[in-house]
Amino acid sequence: MPERTVVIASSTGLHARPAKIFVQAAAKQGMPVRIRVGEGKPVPANSMLAVLALGATHGTEVTLDAEGPGADEALDSLADLLARDLDAEETPHG
Amino acid sequence: MPETAPLPLDPRAILLAASATGRDDAIGQCGQTLLDVGAVESSYIGAMLERERSISTYVGEGVAIPHGTLAAKDAVHHDAICVLRFPDGVDWDGERVTVCIGIAAKGDGHVRLLAELAQILMDPEQARALREATEVAEVVRLLQPNEEDEAQ
Repeated sequence: MPERTVVIASSTGLHARPAKIFVQAAAKQGMPVRIRVGEGKPVPANSMLAVLALGATHGTEVTLDAEGPGADEALDSLADLLARDLDAEETPHG
Repeated sequence: MPETAPLPLDPRAILLAASATGRDDAIGQCGQTLLDVGAVESSYIGAMLERERSISTYVGEGVAIPHGTLAAKDAVHHDAICVLRFPDGVDWDGERVTVCIGIAAKGDGHVRLLAELAQILMDPEQARALREATEVAEVVRLLQPNEEDEAQ
C-alpha cells in the first residue's frame, strides 16, 4: 500500500486548526486515507477526533497510507500539507 | 502517544445547565468560566472568539472545543479546561453543539489536552454520556477516569 512518512511542521503541532485543515483535505480525496504515529494503529485521516487523539506535536513523524487509483497523488498532496507550518498561515505575525 | 496526566478540570468549571443565544455567547461563557477559576486573563476571551472566526473548533459528537489563538498564550496563567453543557443546543455554523469544552494551555500543553479529550470523545458511548450528563461528578468521572481509579 502506498505510504508517505512526514514530519509535522506546524509550530504548535497537529491540533485544532492545522488538524482541521488536514482532515478537510483528507475528506476531499476520492479514497480512504489513514494516518498513524510510528507503529501505532492507523486511524481514518478524515476523522477530526481520531487525528486529534494522535497527539502529534511539532516534529512528530506520521505516516499516511491509502490505496486505489490516485492514491500516490492524494498522499503527496496531504504530506505536502503536513510539511507546511499551517499555523504560520493563520496570521502574518503567526 | 502523548503523556497521560489528569485533565486540569476544576469542578467549579463544570456548568451543566447553561444556555446561550448563539456560538459567540457560548464561547464568551466558556472564557468567563476559565477567567472565574483564575486560569486566564480577560483578554483570553477575545482571543477565543478570534480563533473561532478563523476556523471552527467543532470536533464532532456535538462537542466544540473553543480555545485562544497562539498570540494569547501570555494570557494563560495555568492549564485548565471547562465544561459547559447546553441542553437546548447551540447552533455552531450549522452543527448542533451540546457540550463546549473551553481550553486554556501554556506552551504545547494544548496538544496533550486535545489528544486526551479526543480519545475520550472517540468512544460514542462516552461522548453520549457527556452530552447527557446532569451531575458534576459524572463529568469528572468521564474526563478524569484515571484519577477516579486511583481514588478507589
